[in-house]
Amino acid sequence: MRPEVRETQAAMEREGYVAEPAIATAVYLAHTMRKPLLVEGDAGVGKTEIAKVLARILDTELIRLQCYEGIDVNTALYEWNYQRQLLRLRIAGTEGREPAQTEQMIFSRDCLLERPLLRAITRRDGPPVLLIDEIDRADDGFEAFLLEVLSDFQVTIPELGPIAATHVPYVVLTSNRTREIGDALRRRCFYLYVEHPSLEKEVRIIRARVPEVLDGLADEIAAVMQALRGRRLRKAPGVAETLDWTRALLALRQDRLDVDTVAETLGCVLKDHHDVQDLTARDVESLLAGAGSPRSPW
Amino acid sequence: MPRGFCHGLLAAPMPDRDVAERLARLAGRLRERGVGVCLSDEIDGAAALLLVDRADRDEVRHALRAALKIRRPDWDTFDELLQGFWAAEDRPARAPDQPATPPERSRPRSDRTGRIPQWRWMQATGQLPGERGRETTSGDTPGYSSDVLLRRKPFDDWSADDLPAMERLLARAARRLRCRPSRRLAPVRAGGRVDLRRSFRRAVGTGGEFLSLARRDRAVEKPDVVLLCDTSGSMDPHTRFLLTFALSLKRVVRRCEVFAFNTSLTRLTPWLTPDKIAPTLDRLAAGVPDWSGGTRIGASLDEFVTRYLDTLVSAKTVVVVLSDGLDRDSPAVLAEAMRAIGEKARKVIWLNPLLGDPRYRPEARGMKAALPHVEHFVPAHNLESLERLLPLLAASGGTPRSTESGEAPGHPVPGATREHSAQYATEE
Repeated sequence: MRPEVRETQAAMEREGYVAEPAIATAVYLAHTMRKPLLVEGDAGVGKTEIAKVLARILDTELIRLQCYEGIDVNTALYEWNYQRQLLRLRIAGTEGREPAQTEQMIFSRDCLLERPLLRAITRRDGPPVLLIDEIDRADDGFEAFLLEVLSDFQVTIPELGPIAATHVPYVVLTSNRTREIGDALRRRCFYLYVEHPSLEKEVRIIRARVPEVLDGLADEIAAVMQALRGRRLRKAPGVAETLDWTRALLALRQDRLDVDTVAETLGCVLKDHHDVQDLTARDVESLLAGAGSPRSPW
Repeated sequence: MPRGFCHGLLAAPMPDRDVAERLARLAGRLRERGVGVCLSDEIDGAAALLLVDRADRDEVRHALRAALKIRRPDWDTFDELLQGFWAAEDRPARAPDQPATPPERSRPRSDRTGRIPQWRWMQATGQLPGERGRETTSGDTPGYSSDVLLRRKPFDDWSADDLPAMERLLARAARRLRCRPSRRLAPVRAGGRVDLRRSFRRAVGTGGEFLSLARRDRAVEKPDVVLLCDTSGSMDPHTRFLLTFALSLKRVVRRCEVFAFNTSLTRLTPWLTPDKIAPTLDRLAAGVPDWSGGTRIGASLDEFVTRYLDTLVSAKTVVVVLSDGLDRDSPAVLAEAMRAIGEKARKVIWLNPLLGDPRYRPEARGMKAALPHVEHFVPAHNLESLERLLPLLAASGGTPRSTESGEAPGHPVPGATREHSAQYATEE
């Protein structure tokens, strides 16, 4: 393994992110080659966390653009401050200014409200990490617009002209794969698919993120989560659920898993009504038996 | 290749020639197997290889996966082909002036799979009852005047010569395919909400007076379509035409995914390019595994649900199943798969060629199991019936708001609504 990759892995680990080599390699490459990193994977496997950790490692600001259906340029890039514009328009009217002057007054930088994308490329002190979260929720028109921004790092505001990036931000895009991301955008990025963690990795994640957990409990939780993901579920639980569950169990002062505890706290893990219904008490028992540590209660 | 050219292309120090060559070969193989890798990916790959420890095979695998943008479903293919990448390294180095292995792309696909692909209905065209010799038909290219006749002609009687006419008819009909209010706002003349931004631009021209307010409203967009075509033996006479329909549809809707199923599911979309339809069909015949035989609709649709439902079906997707519903599986599997699809999709339409026959009743167990989850149950035995499908794709069933906005509302197909199918389902 290349020392730089190892270093990336260690740095992420220091920030509480247990990264296997695949993740560390992709992050290292995207960072070094200054390419956006497109992270795909099931919900809750830690995609967004990669951007957050990257921002902490680089000790820079994290600027987040949350995508949703119907997101448009005005929400993502910039919006005019209409109240201020209106005010200036009135003043210009009473002062009887030339139209050209008026235009300059109301379409100036200080009437511009920066939205995440514009803020990311015009940040003065060093490149930020730009997280474009759940890009799959935006429509493909918006994707095409992003493509333009991500390739030139320059945006054009019709009233002001082009604004070039002061620094090229580190870009992380995430997608839950509710739709296929267009080829053109994928080509602009480095691509990382994050899978559900292995048993060993999951134990390490639990210990890293919830340090107060007892070792035995962490093992049991991880084993049950692994077994659950092996079942045919409508909504497989991710690492986020694992951590929620661990914290819930700690709050309930449980230091081991039994059938009742699991049944009571199942809502932390399974987020689909049918999945919960399908899981019988017998299933829970076999899950726990699979977890394999018949621990005497103390 | 002159070295300088490569330098310009890469804008990064060039990895040694051998690696670049092997990378190109790997990319070529990937493309042959249907994994889209383009030149810019290869450049990314080469640059990435410079940054990683090339002796660490895992690291190279991770790096190339990221740089060549290999998606999760393609990982197995990629890992397999990557073996070839290493195999070259394991061999003693080739003399530098020896030419590279000729590209294998020109070889027909069948050679690689090791068997001659067989596509029953491609061969069956000659046996179609309506098939006419080329010489006799060269003079009478189907024109608009024959449209009415063409429309009513059962698919069993169609020949390859009718395909262009079908394409043309469908292209016209498909223009009505606008339907769903988008969440995006687009400028409109009236109605909707005030567009402050454009209003301000106008006000500047009139000395700061808002003489008129610009407005914008939700845009109307076309649906995405997922077609699931049954290609089993019992569907043979219809499949070619239904697939032609699928191809025509692919040209006019924003996104159209096409799957074929009989005993298993095959995604056809990568083979469907907006060329002429005939060569596409030929390519399909060459590229798709043999699929004659029985039908396992339930299992196939279940596979669709597991592998593709999440990415391909959303609230703006219309799922169209083309099948006669003669299933060998347990109806419960089919019912469950249809329920899952129906829950996620905007609308589910079932096209059944047998429904063209007035005596037909959906008695088959599979058909009965699927019907409760189907919005429209429509015949698909001739072009007219397919044309009537288009307004169904567009109609805003399910969404409370109808934004037909001046468009002629879709003609409801008599006897094809959910009530009707429910009635069928209860009829014993």
